[in-house]
Amino acid sequence: MDERLRETLSAMMDDEADELSVRRLLSHGNQDEVRNQWQRWQQVRDLMHESHGPEESVDVAVAVREALDGHVRPEPSRLKTQVVAGSYWRWPVAAMVVMALVIGFGAGAGWDGQTQEPVAAVAVTELSDGDALALSARVEEVALQRLDEEQLKQMRQFMLEHAQHNSVGAGRGSVGYARLVSASSGY
Amino acid sequence: MIERRKSRMTQAANLIKATPLATKTGHSVTSSMTPDNDWKPGEQTDSQTDLQLVRKVRNGDRAAFDLLVVKYQSRVASIISRYVYDSQEVMDLTQETFVKAFRAVERFRGDSAFYTWLYRIAVNTAKNYLEARGRRPQGSADSADAENFDDGGRLRDVASPERLLQREQLQKALSEAIAGLPEELRSAFLLREYDGLSYEDIARILECPIGTVRSRIFRARDAVDRHLGPLLNHSVT
Repeated sequence: MDERLRETLSAMMDDEADELSVRRLLSHGNQDEVRNQWQRWQQVRDLMHESHGPEESVDVAVAVREALDGHVRPEPSRLKTQVVAGSYWRWPVAAMVVMALVIGFGAGAGWDGQTQEPVAAVAVTELSDGDALALSARVEEVALQRLDEEQLKQMRQFMLEHAQHNSVGAGRGSVGYARLVSASSGY
Repeated sequence: MIERRKSRMTQAANLIKATPLATKTGHSVTSSMTPDNDWKPGEQTDSQTDLQLVRKVRNGDRAAFDLLVVKYQSRVASIISRYVYDSQEVMDLTQETFVKAFRAVERFRGDSAFYTWLYRIAVNTAKNYLEARGRRPQGSADSADAENFDDGGRLRDVASPERLLQREQLQKALSEAIAGLPEELRSAFLLREYDGLSYEDIARILECPIGTVRSRIFRARDAVDRHLGPLLNHSVT
């Protein structure tokens, strides 16, 4: 801060600075320097008027600045809460979509190993999360355990319908999952 | 008002003529040279600088708000300490007062001085804090007191022997610094700081241009600051 700016700051202390000078001062690159100088002169003034010395003075300027920075920027904690809350819904829905796509598409394509992998890959890509792969594999395993030919056929038909319905409803088909559980007892 | 100003100018002129500034003996400048103790800088109700800074803040200039915080933080803390006695609570509420002021600055219409407006926010913040904790506000400060409020700017729990000693040393250093100023700088500086005279009035008394007054006061302030130097770096955060 050059002499002229410091003189402007001094004039500001005395209410004698003009608007243009104040603007020039506030646009100075190093505002920390401006603030520190201002603060020291304020302390001298306080001392001269026997109000208090710097050892008794309060400095909340930094805390205020930080609080206001937090106010201006999005609050991280709030953002985190929203993400977590959203993920509670996303997981079951995503799992249902994956399961429906895998099994349903498998039914339509004859359910062989060659078609299963690419479909699963597409579903996982949509989820954008590696955990979905493990989840879909686990669901597939449970769904196909101990099914005879007839049950498997019914299951494929059901899942195909389910997938078709859910493709319209954006996968919000928790009822379908409940029905899947009872599929082994005669759909 | 005019009479009062004339009186001040006369007092100040007498002060300049009569001041031997025998402060090298260690005698306090502040007690021996203050002819008019009812004026304190920054208590003006029409602070032009404040209004300039507020305008900048409204335009999104955070640096301008920083200067207002630095200028008034001690006084705001003093107001709050009339209600709340714990120093940490005082700090927190002082901070809260400024945050509220920043958020509400658009609603500051300029009908009153910025400090008066800030004073009301501080009082309300302290009262709300106490009420939220089921404590009845005991303080007596009222927003109408804003112009006259002065309790020495002290927080209540700071008068430890060490601090009293430090303060005494500071006062002594200040006296020495002022006494060491060249006569023309000292005169302008004291007329401004102790009498609250405008640059124009000081120029008239000292018979010099306003620009010279401005320059002398700056140089005096700078010299005192440099003399006190390290002693001024003990702020409580």
